[in-house]
Amino acid sequence: MPRCTYFFLYDGSKVKGEGDLTREGICYFYPEETPLDEQELLCGQLAGAGRCVSELSSSPVCVLRLRRNKFAIRMKDDFFWALGCPVEVPTISVCELLDQLINLFRFYNGSVRRSYQLNRPETLASRWAQYLSHLQSGSSDLHHIFSCLRTIDATNIDPLLLLKAALILQACQRCPLVSAGCVLFRGRVVSTQISPELTMKVMVHESETYTKGPRCNDPGTFNSFGGAVSSTTVFLTVSELQHLQSGPGDKDFRSHSTPHKKKPTRKTRLSRTLSNTPSTESEPSDAFSSPSFSRRLSDSSVFSPDPSQSGADPTPQQPDPPFSNGEPSPEAEEEVPEESNYESFHSNGNGVSQMHNEAGGSLFGEDSRLNGGGGDGDAARGPVFDFRGAEESRDHNVFEEVSGGGCGNVQGRGAESPDPARSDDSPLIPMTLYLHRVKGLVLALLVEPCFLSDTDSMEEVYHSSLASLNGLEAHLRTVSPGASGPQGPYLFAHFDCVQSTLTTNLSARPGGALQRPFVRATSLLHSHFCNTETLQEAIIRSAGAAVYGTRSVAQETYFQQHGGSLRNSGIPNHQDSAFSLPGKARHRLLKHGVNLI
Amino acid sequence: MKCLLIASESAEVLFHWTDPEFQQNVQKQYGASQEDGQGLPAFEDSISTLFAPIIISCITMVDRLRDSYTSFTTENHHIYVLHQFDECLYIAVNGDGEEGECDLRRKIYVVKKMTEVLFGMVTLSSNLLRKELRPQDTEQRARLWKHLQSLLQTYGHLRENDQSFLVEAVERLIHPTLCEQCIEFLERRLVQQLNSSGERAGEEVMHAFILVHTKLLAFYSSRNASSLSTSDLLVLIIMAQNMYPSNTDSDDPNPEVENDRRTSGSGPESFYTPEPSPPPDRGSSSSGGFCGRCCSMAEDSLQTLEVPPPDPSTPRRVFLEVSLKDGLYPMMPHSMYCLPLWPGITLVLLTKIPTSAVAMSVYTFLEAFAKLEKRLSEGQEGSAATRGQRTIHEVRGKLDKFIKALGPTEIQVCWIEFKNLAFTRGGPGFSRHLIPSCKKMKTQLCAVYRQCFLLESGSSSIPQRLSPGLQERAQSMVQEKLMDWKDFLLVKSRRNITMDFPGLIHFICVDRSTGQMIAPSLNLTERNTSELGKGPLAQFIRRKVWTLVNTTRRYLQKGYSTVTFRDGDFYFCYFLWFENETGFKLEAGDLPVLSDDSAPIGMLAWDYYRKLLRYYSKSHQGEVVKCYELLTVHLGVVPAEIILQHCRQLASKLWEPSRNPLL
Repeated sequence: MPRCTYFFLYDGSKVKGEGDLTREGICYFYPEETPLDEQELLCGQLAGAGRCVSELSSSPVCVLRLRRNKFAIRMKDDFFWALGCPVEVPTISVCELLDQLINLFRFYNGSVRRSYQLNRPETLASRWAQYLSHLQSGSSDLHHIFSCLRTIDATNIDPLLLLKAALILQACQRCPLVSAGCVLFRGRVVSTQISPELTMKVMVHESETYTKGPRCNDPGTFNSFGGAVSSTTVFLTVSELQHLQSGPGDKDFRSHSTPHKKKPTRKTRLSRTLSNTPSTESEPSDAFSSPSFSRRLSDSSVFSPDPSQSGADPTPQQPDPPFSNGEPSPEAEEEVPEESNYESFHSNGNGVSQMHNEAGGSLFGEDSRLNGGGGDGDAARGPVFDFRGAEESRDHNVFEEVSGGGCGNVQGRGAESPDPARSDDSPLIPMTLYLHRVKGLVLALLVEPCFLSDTDSMEEVYHSSLASLNGLEAHLRTVSPGASGPQGPYLFAHFDCVQSTLTTNLSARPGGALQRPFVRATSLLHSHFCNTETLQEAIIRSAGAAVYGTRSVAQETYFQQHGGSLRNSGIPNHQDSAFSLPGKARHRLLKHGVNLI
Repeated sequence: MKCLLIASESAEVLFHWTDPEFQQNVQKQYGASQEDGQGLPAFEDSISTLFAPIIISCITMVDRLRDSYTSFTTENHHIYVLHQFDECLYIAVNGDGEEGECDLRRKIYVVKKMTEVLFGMVTLSSNLLRKELRPQDTEQRARLWKHLQSLLQTYGHLRENDQSFLVEAVERLIHPTLCEQCIEFLERRLVQQLNSSGERAGEEVMHAFILVHTKLLAFYSSRNASSLSTSDLLVLIIMAQNMYPSNTDSDDPNPEVENDRRTSGSGPESFYTPEPSPPPDRGSSSSGGFCGRCCSMAEDSLQTLEVPPPDPSTPRRVFLEVSLKDGLYPMMPHSMYCLPLWPGITLVLLTKIPTSAVAMSVYTFLEAFAKLEKRLSEGQEGSAATRGQRTIHEVRGKLDKFIKALGPTEIQVCWIEFKNLAFTRGGPGFSRHLIPSCKKMKTQLCAVYRQCFLLESGSSSIPQRLSPGLQERAQSMVQEKLMDWKDFLLVKSRRNITMDFPGLIHFICVDRSTGQMIAPSLNLTERNTSELGKGPLAQFIRRKVWTLVNTTRRYLQKGYSTVTFRDGDFYFCYFLWFENETGFKLEAGDLPVLSDDSAPIGMLAWDYYRKLLRYYSKSHQGEVVKCYELLTVHLGVVPAEIILQHCRQLASKLWEPSRNPLL
């Protein structure tokens, strides 16, 4: 079912004067084939009416409904986001979808305003399209209702495998530059140490690299590791970072004991970027006295884009010549020497990479089906991603300049501490997302940016996990995906709010007529639970189905019994089968690991 | 923070109502820079400026996208609900969390219903309705708006405090013997005497009823009257309450307390007090209609309001639905006489006016033109466009006579033009070209209707009505009859029924076929009279019950007729079911699934249950189908089986004739 009917980002700052055309303000519009005047109409009217209402109420509009569509709205500075869905979709799900979308963009690109200053709109349009398609792809209606993570079906998997995945992650954390991570298999979570929201974000890049397949010329790919390892810069909010640092994986290393041995490589690249003069000499080891650290502090505005600083200030914030004007031309981007980025790894051959490519290729077809994006769509997006690849390399450089001294500097981050009021444009802290792929299996780690330049750490992480990953992949591959438990004379859905995971016996294929009443009731009840904190359980019955829903702080469970005598008058009757649902649910769901007592 | 606005397609404000907070908010945005003495127009200007972009955008969306806004929600939980009826856009706003989207949509429909009761078929012509809602004369406009604002305020108060306005069904006082006696009295003594009097100026009493606060003690309809719809009856109760607000919050039905009780502070009819020129010292406080009046009361300008109210014996013109053997006639003119017996107890008489046959003719003509227009705009032509009953061909002769009787008027010109187009050989006949002419005829007919039933016949001529003496006699007859009962009735109205189910905290039972409900009292500020007493628990339960009703409506809208939930320490149940006349429970069928912005579920503004019954009856032809609802609130510790037994017992017991007179 097409879920999102419209999505657009409109920049009101581009349409201030009398003669300004509405189209100037349209940053991105989905569906892209919408005639331009319809785009203008929707953007202009919705943004105009939205602004008028928000002025009257002195608060931004967050939901706007039309007769046929409902829109989640976000208004921030001059930006106006609108995401429209059919009216049947619960409002809360529409709002969650829009937040996910914006957060995804910020995760991979940093501040939205800044991105539009630095990049061509077409480039960013392709990214919005990519994130939107990722969020909408594949999963069932139930997944959309709960906005939950796609996980592997744990019921068919030996728990030891899950343990093994967790151990791999823990092992990686022995390297102080690794914050936390997750293990994914064919677009589904096997194990994760990071919050559901962050895991969801990480998965976008995973599925992208998966469908794209490893490329030797991809700047984010490390040839040294046979193309199996890639990385990209990502941006975390302060709260995400705090969450990461407070996680069980944290060993409190960041506040002290920054290994000195990393410095040379890092400073090498930094000084080269700064002066365009390659240098391998060692720098003073004290990060706090080095000019790079103070620059990181002074340049923090790049990633905490207070518009008063980054937008309005005409003086270049960054002293670096290539990017000082904030509007790099494509030529400038091309100037970035891709190969030289990770030259320290170049000595390694890439024969393994080729082999892996072949192995990966066989998975490709299967994957495009699993991820639901459709082979055609991916093929069509191919060139765009190539371009993006080029951009990414530039991103790395920007990042390196800015946070050059930033490895493990808690203090440096503290200096960028957020203004909580500007939650949407709160400071973003750059980190690196490291991916190690073994066929369908991916180890994704959030690492300190300097990890990439730290050959020893990187090799240690790579080699210490390689064997385990191979083993895990081999085991997971043998688990047949479709062999979920017996269907049973009932339907259920169990949503874990903490882990944001869903367990259900509904078949993944949409359109099961028998399932539709259950999905509809679940959607209504979920909205009700979300809006009423004190609500614990409910039974609702239409002529076609009686559905029981119950929730606790940590979970929501929905249950429907097939058959039974639904034929009744609807008058209160204690022998009515609808009222035996709670008992049946408790009994039946035990074997699915759901305890309702 | 509440506001309700009616605007035309050209963004002209046709009516607005705001509470003081909203008004302050608007004034704050405009820097509150009004000069003394120009309060009203300045506020009206600012509100229309503030809303104009939304209104224009809404019209643009309809024109160009065939879709329109239904609501906005802001991050600080302000809600804007928009709905368009013909060419009028209604906007309802809440910024204090007291009303949800469904409440606001309901309010919009209620205002629409009120305009229908007040203006009748004039509402069928947007052009005429616009003029009616916004009279040119500012004083007249202020008076009308104040009246509408006051009705809206009264409705809001009832909807928040009175269970019968929560579920939109009429509550009867449960005292079968007295009730029966009163009905007999109304029939044999009162109505008979009134209708045989020579002082009734051709009017005929069709319905008579006695209200104790908002509850019905006795209702009598004369033999040749059609039944009064629940929707109309509920609006009439609002109007009666607006005229004589009853003090349901106090034990002591003392008229002085009564006048001070409501925020309106409105004594009987004070809204119709024609204000002399506004005193200059009132300043902006008088600008906001309702609240302005409040403030001016505080400013000790009671003097100005105590200007003698208009003759209370002047009836109110109301337009009510009449169903006759040959069909349904909506919005037929009646006169409403509201005679206070004692504070809290009112006698209401509804009379048919002598010229009401004209209204029926006008409606028949209007319907014929509307049908024709609809078919023509659907692309049907020639005889296909004039099939069925009450067609143009059928009414042609009658319309000729009707127009001839009116004399040379504009409608005559239009009618000739129409006939030339439609009936002349070689003319365009029944085709699209006829649509503008159809529209013109409809407007002309509405104008005739307005002329006949809405315009006062001028103050000089003798008003047509039951003579004041006759009204006084009616009043004193009923007073005499109820003299010994009056205190009992006032108490009874607050303690209507009692419950004897341990663990059951509250219930509401509704017979949707008759539009009547029954429930233990939930009044909060009374002394020891409510079943729950007063205080935070009662307040809490009341809030829960109000939320429960909204929630179950939401599920009903989506086709769920049984809903139970455990919420905090309570267990709530809702059941809707159908029975035939003998009490046999009929099988639950599929209920229609409606969209979120569909008309509100209820009986006051838009009779959902009437449509539901019609829908359900299709599969039960030849049977009289009845529809019931039951809501219960139990303590959460009571086992589910017991709760369901209670519900079952309530469902069957409450409708036993011995228990109450609903059947």
